[in-house]
Amino acid sequence: MQLTKHWAGPLDDYAIDLAWAPDGTRLAAASAAGPISVFASSDGSGRVDLPGHEGGSNTLAWQPGTSVLASGGQDGSVKLWDGAAGQHSATVALGRAWVEHLEWRPPGTGAPLLAAAAGRKFTFLGADGSVRHAFKDAPKTITALAWHPQGGCAAVAYFGGVCLWDADDGVAQKEYAYGNGIHALAWSPDARWLVSGNQDPSVHLWMPESDVELQMSGYETKVRHLSFDSTSHWLATSGSQDACVWDCSGQGPEGREPAMLPHDAPVCGLQFQRAHGLLATAAQDGSVVLWSPERKQPLRATVRMPSAATKLTWSPDDRLLAIGTEKGMVYVLRCEP
Amino acid sequence: MDSNPIPVTVLTGFLGAGKTTLLNRILTEKHGRKLAVIENEFGEVGVDNQLVIQSDEELFEMNNGCICCSVRGDLIRILGRLLKRKDRLDGILIETTGLANPAPVAQTFFTDDEMRRNFRLDGIVTVVDAKHVATHLDSNDESVKQLAFADVILLNKTDLATPAELDSLQARIRGINAVASVFRTRDCDVPLDRVLDIGGFNLGRATEIDPKFMEPEYPFEWAGAYDLPAGAHDLVIGHSEAEHDHDDPEDHDHGDAHPHHHHGNENELDLAVMSVPSLSEADLEAARDAAVSVFSDWEKRTNPGEEVAPGATLYRLLLDGGYGGFKLMIPKAGHYVVFEGCGEDPLHIRVGPDNVKPAWQSDYHPAHEHNEGVTSVGIQHAGDLDGGRLNNWISNLLRTKGNDIYRMKGVLSVKGAPKRMVFQGIHMLFDAKFDREWGAEPRVNTLVFIGKNLDRAALNDAFKSCLVQ
Repeated sequence: MQLTKHWAGPLDDYAIDLAWAPDGTRLAAASAAGPISVFASSDGSGRVDLPGHEGGSNTLAWQPGTSVLASGGQDGSVKLWDGAAGQHSATVALGRAWVEHLEWRPPGTGAPLLAAAAGRKFTFLGADGSVRHAFKDAPKTITALAWHPQGGCAAVAYFGGVCLWDADDGVAQKEYAYGNGIHALAWSPDARWLVSGNQDPSVHLWMPESDVELQMSGYETKVRHLSFDSTSHWLATSGSQDACVWDCSGQGPEGREPAMLPHDAPVCGLQFQRAHGLLATAAQDGSVVLWSPERKQPLRATVRMPSAATKLTWSPDDRLLAIGTEKGMVYVLRCEP
Repeated sequence: MDSNPIPVTVLTGFLGAGKTTLLNRILTEKHGRKLAVIENEFGEVGVDNQLVIQSDEELFEMNNGCICCSVRGDLIRILGRLLKRKDRLDGILIETTGLANPAPVAQTFFTDDEMRRNFRLDGIVTVVDAKHVATHLDSNDESVKQLAFADVILLNKTDLATPAELDSLQARIRGINAVASVFRTRDCDVPLDRVLDIGGFNLGRATEIDPKFMEPEYPFEWAGAYDLPAGAHDLVIGHSEAEHDHDDPEDHDHGDAHPHHHHGNENELDLAVMSVPSLSEADLEAARDAAVSVFSDWEKRTNPGEEVAPGATLYRLLLDGGYGGFKLMIPKAGHYVVFEGCGEDPLHIRVGPDNVKPAWQSDYHPAHEHNEGVTSVGIQHAGDLDGGRLNNWISNLLRTKGNDIYRMKGVLSVKGAPKRMVFQGIHMLFDAKFDREWGAEPRVNTLVFIGKNLDRAALNDAFKSCLVQ
């Protein structure tokens, strides 16, 4: 197996977010300075540059089943774009705080809703940019959000805990206290586990159906990256020079030795394929490695980028891996057997 | 990958002290550098093309709500975002609100390895308004803390205060923080290399500390040398009501210039008189050392009118309303040094009708006790430390006294280590590393504690117990 370069495109600054269009035909890339570029995924051609956000862009999210691209930035707004035509369609001002987290409700789980977090404010927007629900302020700035895989609620994390906000009536379904900062949230695809990556440094797992809680510690640094494989069996986590992969089947990872997938520098990104079993991990030395965690010899392929990856994301068909870097490059690699 | 950590300068000070003036000066004079400013209030910075980010003072209480373990969540977020740039910044300036406690700001830089790797807290610069700071110090704990935490203090708006007021303020500031550099400024007109890239948080060079502050503690606060003829002279402490009009400013008479901070009973003054062969440094030091042992002796209670003589006797002069006259018996003409337990008591020696002026005088840092309750304790001692004992002491100290220790810094000589151990701490957070080889430099330990309720003697004893015998 190998990773081969498919195409590359430069941004004007640090690649702060990447997002594949739902049909896989386009890749959107946001620079930390503000502009957003949309590339044709076949060869990087037909590039369209959108102005993005004044003061800087932070996050991107394509609406499932459409060509609507949502972006959030330091100007405190959410912008909606027609990602195919390259046109701005709406701006929603949410206040002075940075819009740092955007995520659309998963496809096929109900009317489209865009969850948007800006400072302590949490909002649901409709597909047209209208405000569907403005929640009461979180106790501290929202640092991560993750939709429940069945779309019934969105989990929102802040220093001190996680709240599950109901998608239909906007009430708090549940609040989980956690006495430290949270940097990442993920649901297992089967919704058995809700996981946070923490400042302390640790990974905390909740099992919402049974009120079981597990705390996995021993990390070197705060855990910013979490990714489940499509079967909900494996949970990959950053937080050291190894990507640490927990077996979450059955009763969960407690008492099990995690698989440690080694890098030569701190891991700065990781992502499982959407429907297949490969895990891509990136480290601060610019290396990007593919793994099959369930194998005895998990290492599958290695490449080295000229600068550290800021973002890894698989195309909807799992054939292409897009990588953004600190120096503002976007690389699209093809995964070949 | 990592390059050098980005230096961060924190500007504190009460509203109106001149923080914005200083900030604008830095941005104007350093316009070639890529600087980002994090500030609480929008729109005060008047320089174009600067990256200005507003913060909201969000506190993260890291340890079960313990306030002295708090960090600034907004700064973690903003600093993290500032790293997300293709070209690294040359520096970051954080302007805090006038009421902000500097501890959480400083502690933010100790939050985790990523913060330590990417940022270097270069210094805390506190701007105070010379006209109003005294009022703030009396009424507001945060302003005392802002001074206690500072590496650099600008005593600003000096045109609005008299030289005497400035002297008194500076003494008061020194009492709180003996190690910060203090500059008197109008419009914050200090050379910027005294404010930026100072490495203040690392105490890179122990010699930057005011050497006087590093002197060992003495049981007396003031000494003066007088040339006296043989005979019985008047030794007068304090002022009788009738005398107030004709003070000679060259007398040892600092009692009236500012409020009298007396330690213990104001109607008792410990005093010893030592004969010295000359005013050479060596002779004065010998007299000082002899006086130290005299001051540890039993005191002789002495009523007004009774005799005081040179020698190994500690006199406890009994005063009435801070005033008393005694007989100073001088056996033969020569140089005599008078040591006073409290440096605040005016002392006059009269030979016949004339006041004799001291030919030499010295204060023995009276900073160990004063009304702010926030002080500095410095320890300087040659020798090697036992790494294990040092570690036990410091961790125990931080666990039990971390709340009261605002800042701690030092350069230490650890047995077996060819390099200097440089450390810094804020409350309970602590960071130590070996920086460079001692080389030819003498292996002298230098430690400074700034905080409240510091027990100088206990700190000294504990430190000494860590020395390798």
